[in-house]
Amino acid sequence: MPQIDTAKPSPFVIRHREWGDFYAVFHIYDFCSRNMSVCGGKGVYGLLSCIERCSFLPCEPDRVLVRVQKLTPEKADQLIWVRARVHTSRAKGKQCFLVLRQQQFNVQALVAVGERASKQMVKFAANINKESIVDVEAMVRKVEQKIDSCTQQDVELHIERIFVISQAEPRLPLQLEDCVRPDGEGDEDGRATVNQDTRLDNRVIDLRTTTSQAIFRLQSGVCQLFRDTLTNKGFVEIQTPKIISAASEGGANVFTVSYFKTSAYLAQSPQLYKQMCICADFDKVFCVGPVFRAEDSNTHRHLTEFVGLDIELAFNYHYHEVIESITDTMVQIFKGLRDKFQTEIQTVGKQYPSEPFRFLEPTLRLEYTEGVAMLREAGVDMGDEEDLRSVYDTDFYVLDKYPLAVRPFYTMPDPNDKVCASLNKYSNSYDMFMRGEEILSGAQRIHDAQLLTERAIHHNIDLEKIKSYIDSFRYGAPPHGGGGIGLERVCMLYLGLHNVRQVSMFPRDPKRLTP
Amino acid sequence: MPMYQVKPVFGDDIKTDLPTCMYKLPNIHAQRSASGCSEHALQNGTEVVDPAFRDLEVRQDKIMRRLYELKAAVDGLAKTVTTPDADLDQTVTSLSQSPTATSFRGTADLDSLLGKDLGALRDIVINANPARPPLTLLVLHAMLCQRYRVLSSVHVHSSVSGVPAQLLSCLGPRHADSYVRQRFQLGFTLIWKDVSKLQMKFSIQNMCPIEGEANVARFLFRLVAPYPSDPALATLVDSWVDTAFFQLAEGSAKERSAVLRALNGALGRDPWLAGPELSLADIACYCCVLQTGPAASSPANVQRWLKACENLGHFGPANPLLQ
Repeated sequence: MPQIDTAKPSPFVIRHREWGDFYAVFHIYDFCSRNMSVCGGKGVYGLLSCIERCSFLPCEPDRVLVRVQKLTPEKADQLIWVRARVHTSRAKGKQCFLVLRQQQFNVQALVAVGERASKQMVKFAANINKESIVDVEAMVRKVEQKIDSCTQQDVELHIERIFVISQAEPRLPLQLEDCVRPDGEGDEDGRATVNQDTRLDNRVIDLRTTTSQAIFRLQSGVCQLFRDTLTNKGFVEIQTPKIISAASEGGANVFTVSYFKTSAYLAQSPQLYKQMCICADFDKVFCVGPVFRAEDSNTHRHLTEFVGLDIELAFNYHYHEVIESITDTMVQIFKGLRDKFQTEIQTVGKQYPSEPFRFLEPTLRLEYTEGVAMLREAGVDMGDEEDLRSVYDTDFYVLDKYPLAVRPFYTMPDPNDKVCASLNKYSNSYDMFMRGEEILSGAQRIHDAQLLTERAIHHNIDLEKIKSYIDSFRYGAPPHGGGGIGLERVCMLYLGLHNVRQVSMFPRDPKRLTP
Repeated sequence: MPMYQVKPVFGDDIKTDLPTCMYKLPNIHAQRSASGCSEHALQNGTEVVDPAFRDLEVRQDKIMRRLYELKAAVDGLAKTVTTPDADLDQTVTSLSQSPTATSFRGTADLDSLLGKDLGALRDIVINANPARPPLTLLVLHAMLCQRYRVLSSVHVHSSVSGVPAQLLSCLGPRHADSYVRQRFQLGFTLIWKDVSKLQMKFSIQNMCPIEGEANVARFLFRLVAPYPSDPALATLVDSWVDTAFFQLAEGSAKERSAVLRALNGALGRDPWLAGPELSLADIACYCCVLQTGPAASSPANVQRWLKACENLGHFGPANPLLQ
């Protein structure tokens, strides 16, 4: 609490025991013990209370905040305002060095004792808790020697006024530098890297790192490119229900929810509804939405809830039209990422180095039997994805014509391949792989109600449960096929990361339900 | 005794057949088929058709066939006159790219040359830089297609951002059967990639990658025709191939003119560069000569030889890329 020193001649100067002199307060706020507000024409630093932040600075209504990204030598010798987080602050005698961070960009700032700043101000700046949000008025100055530790390497801010908008608690559960440190480096210097569970528990802080910002911007780009490419091809976006009455992929891995007096299931995939849309003459559809799989597997690539990007289309004469459409969409997505998101890819590469993603256009398509033959040829020494990679140099390829026995009941058998009249060995189905891991499982679907019933019986599926599904094919259904990819898995494999949780903002797995 | 006797007016040996049927209806079944083929009566050759008409048709067919044969023979002779020692079989079938061509080598030959088939399509993968398209390999690809069922495909690698349209279609139109890879004996995959040297990969287990257009050309040529058994001739072929790639394609202007002079000299003596027939040396030199400059700027013998090569028709695939 400031004490008014009545001994001083002017009633408009207030002397604070710790903070020194400052001009008075044409204040409006409350002097509660936590928020010392300083404001008014000549306040230079301090904490701001909630009230001020909303109705701010009536004397400077046209204050414009400059983005840290725009702090370049062009702005040298200008007086500007910046709002950013305090990444680090370090006092050295009469100076305090701060690094101010805004998303992926950071800049060095300096408070030095002089005509604009007092010793107490320097001390105040040094004591600001990390991650607090501050408003800073500063002069942009060019530097002779590049500052390597910041993204804005050519300039530095000389602070004249600094206010804390939102203060962070002094003890943070994890340190951002530790989060960004690449895995091998930490061990050498004895500095820690943060373990994944801690990161996920404090996701709000972990998501502030440059790497996370880059990853999720790239993920947003994937979604955007997916929508744009398909819309340009004439697809219609649909939304399918997620509370359904029957399990779409099989009864084992499905979540049950209580639904008034009965129970219902959370959709494992939009499969049934996509197909019904095709039967309803939408011809080409796609949908982006959550997918729920109750798989109790704790692996690096399984989540219980993830975002599914699904495609379904009717074709004219051969199901390869579907494969071409899907692979072309994937190639357009890869090209878009390669051309427009290089900065993000490089940023992620600093913490998680990996080989750049390679692909061919048009996409390489091999048959399942060839893949098996290559495995046999390679023996145990080399995995078959390495073989493909060394020959064709691509991280993305399609394996076509899987055996019928391993595919779901609605997969169309291959009409050209009959061992005997009723026994098909192969099916019109395909899988797509990125960096050797499967990302899409698709097929031509059976569009004839009779054949579908036979196959369901063959797989011992209760016909009552899928009655409405089979009914949708009784009134004229075009031949169609499609497939679905997981957004997180695609991003993970494109960037060469090793755990899908790094690519999911708030991941869900058998052991994690919060945040 | 009869009362009145009349002398017979006519002889009694005339037979008359008495009808057994009261009303005769035409057979409706017979009539239908008869009316059905009345439209085709002319081609049918039944007794309805005038035999003379039929003979005329047959004669006309025979004449047309002979005319075509004569025309083909004349074309072949015309080419032989301008192209010394050309193989007549090749001129007749050279322009057809159909995979069921009669000059067809069996899978057994491929097995002996490339090793046993393990169930996967044997794929020859070539990584080439779009800035320097390998014309020799395109010509050899065309020759391969005549001998075997080849599944050709062109891809663009992600290290290259864009490729002109003619490079995408340089291996010809897509085969109708390309849905089923197993129906083909050999695969030929051309990938446009940002590589410094042309590279070929095949059968990783038994082979290391082959680098350089000259070496890949030698490999492919062996699948088409055997190298000459005479070692001197084989060496001559090899030396011309090397000269073409190292000095003509990549050498300085002085080296190039020296090679052109050498070519001129060699072609003055013999119609082809090595031996009595077209060989790999001719293919390589043709592509490199035309890549370095237009045909008109080369010496006289070289121009004559260039013309002779073109007449053989193998160099069709290379021409659109030379413009």
